[in-house]
Amino acid sequence: MAAADVAYAPPMKAGKAGFEGGMPEVQHRIRITLSSRNVKNLEKVCRDLVTGAKGKKLTLKGPVRMPTKVLNITTRKSPCGEGTNTWDRFEMRVHKRVIDLISSPDVVKQITSITIEPGVEVEVTISDP
Amino acid sequence: MAGRGGGGGRKPRNFATFRLFPRAGAADPNDRVFVRVDNNDYSVPGFADEEAFDSDPTADFHSSASGPLPESVRREILELGLPDDGYNYLSHLRELRPSAASSFVPSSTARPEPLPLDVKAYDASRVRVAPSADELDEGKTICKVAAKTAPLRKVQRAVDPDVARLLDESDASHAGSEDEGLEEDFVIMANQAEGDEEVEEEEEELGNGVFSDIEEEEEFEFEDDPKPRVRRLLDEQFDLLALEEYGDSDDEDKGGRDGDYEMPSEAIDELKLFHNQNVCVDDEYRTPADFVRGKLESTTADEVDESANVIRKCAEYAERYLNEPAEEVEVVLVSESSDESEVWDCETIVSTYSNLDNHPGKIETPGNRRKRLPKVFPGETATTNDIIKLHGKEKLPVDYLPQRKRIAEKEKKVKSAEASSAEKIKKEAQKETKEEKKARKAAVKEEKREARKAKKELKGLYKSETQKAQKVAAVTGPSSIRLM
Repeated sequence: MAAADVAYAPPMKAGKAGFEGGMPEVQHRIRITLSSRNVKNLEKVCRDLVTGAKGKKLTLKGPVRMPTKVLNITTRKSPCGEGTNTWDRFEMRVHKRVIDLISSPDVVKQITSITIEPGVEVEVTISDP
Repeated sequence: MAGRGGGGGRKPRNFATFRLFPRAGAADPNDRVFVRVDNNDYSVPGFADEEAFDSDPTADFHSSASGPLPESVRREILELGLPDDGYNYLSHLRELRPSAASSFVPSSTARPEPLPLDVKAYDASRVRVAPSADELDEGKTICKVAAKTAPLRKVQRAVDPDVARLLDESDASHAGSEDEGLEEDFVIMANQAEGDEEVEEEEEELGNGVFSDIEEEEEFEFEDDPKPRVRRLLDEQFDLLALEEYGDSDDEDKGGRDGDYEMPSEAIDELKLFHNQNVCVDDEYRTPADFVRGKLESTTADEVDESANVIRKCAEYAERYLNEPAEEVEVVLVSESSDESEVWDCETIVSTYSNLDNHPGKIETPGNRRKRLPKVFPGETATTNDIIKLHGKEKLPVDYLPQRKRIAEKEKKVKSAEASSAEKIKKEAQKETKEEKKARKAAVKEEKREARKAKKELKGLYKSETQKAQKVAAVTGPSSIRLM
């Protein structure tokens, strides 16, 4: 019977053992917004953040990829008006990723302090849970 | 995300947004801080570690409001000349690094007697020396002294009243009363040993006119002593050395030498002989040999004898010269240039030519340098001249253009066709004038058509060139030339 009781214990998520004790620090909802012109660096930072947060056992809503914004500039190539009307088309692509966490601000500070690539902008928004 | 407030009205803005920026003034790009970027009331106590305007850039960890400054800081402040009042003046200091924008230029306003750079002056009139030396703690005494002293920028030169008095009065009246130091006539006095009389005379003359009465008296005093300076060992040595080096002069004073150079007596005698003779000849130049051999008249018999004497003596000297031991003889080799040995070579002969008359040219391989053009061009037969002919509206060197193969072939064909048709016509002896005319005209038309086609092709190819040429012609060329 005891074995059955034990076996019948409701399945708990592994890694949440400390939850009963309650977190001593205040929990906030934290949104980390990463934006960059460079996809490779951005993805790397994203991956690092996610792995960091998962390592600390935080509730995490994975990197949400916003649609990339493309800024276009189309200009005449010629400095004067003469010649065949050729045009230059320049564009800039901005990629954005959003990561949501629930944790204390200190932990977030720790995570974000470790990894950053050049060209990636990090914005953290903290609000009530 | 945030909970919505009850109806109407904005959402309550219960969030704080932070952005990661690199720390201002930090070399390391990974040194970042979270900076708040929104204006909401929501505060997150643990997050924003440093506010932007409150940052402490200095590396030292003393807060300015803390108690007495540490000793090292205080000492440094004092060294710089700043007062020791508990405030850390070092925080206001900046190192002067030499840069293009800023360079230290000291002020040019002249100050009366500024301090030299290695001297620092302090006004310590207010310092109280502790009567009992109970505590000789260096640090404390330094601070006590420093508290009372004030740095000075300029210091009045310390002047003795005697010196000041002396400086104020005129120079002339004081020169005589100085017993020490050089007299103004020390040169004259140094030469006194040589000629006392002369010097005295000079001085008397001068004394009457120039010097004042006081100085006259002094000089006359000094004249009484024959040798004002005591003769030292060094003087003796010098005299000995001078004697050795410069031959004999029995006089003690060197100043008594006459200006003439003493010649050996033998030479003088010989010269006297010659002086007697009449060397200045009226018409012709006469040698002693002439006198001896009696070819010419001689004014005196003495002359003949003297001439003979001279000749004999010359012979003697020559013999003596020959008989001297060979070691002493210096053999001087003089290289003669005889006509047979002189052979001119090209370089020397050419170097004697001047470029004003002679215009040398550089020898080159013939023909290749001037025209760097592609090998295949059909107009080769025409290029015997040095002139490059420009044809057409574009003024291009038609003969040198590379793309003339096909057209050339066509022309050849046309020409050959013409030639053959011409032959036929000639053979038929002008039988069919109409056909002949027609054929001729057709050929010409064909030629013209081909030419037009070729021209159009060429024009299309070189349109960019014409544009460039247009640009150039707009600046330089005459406006009569039409390029496009």
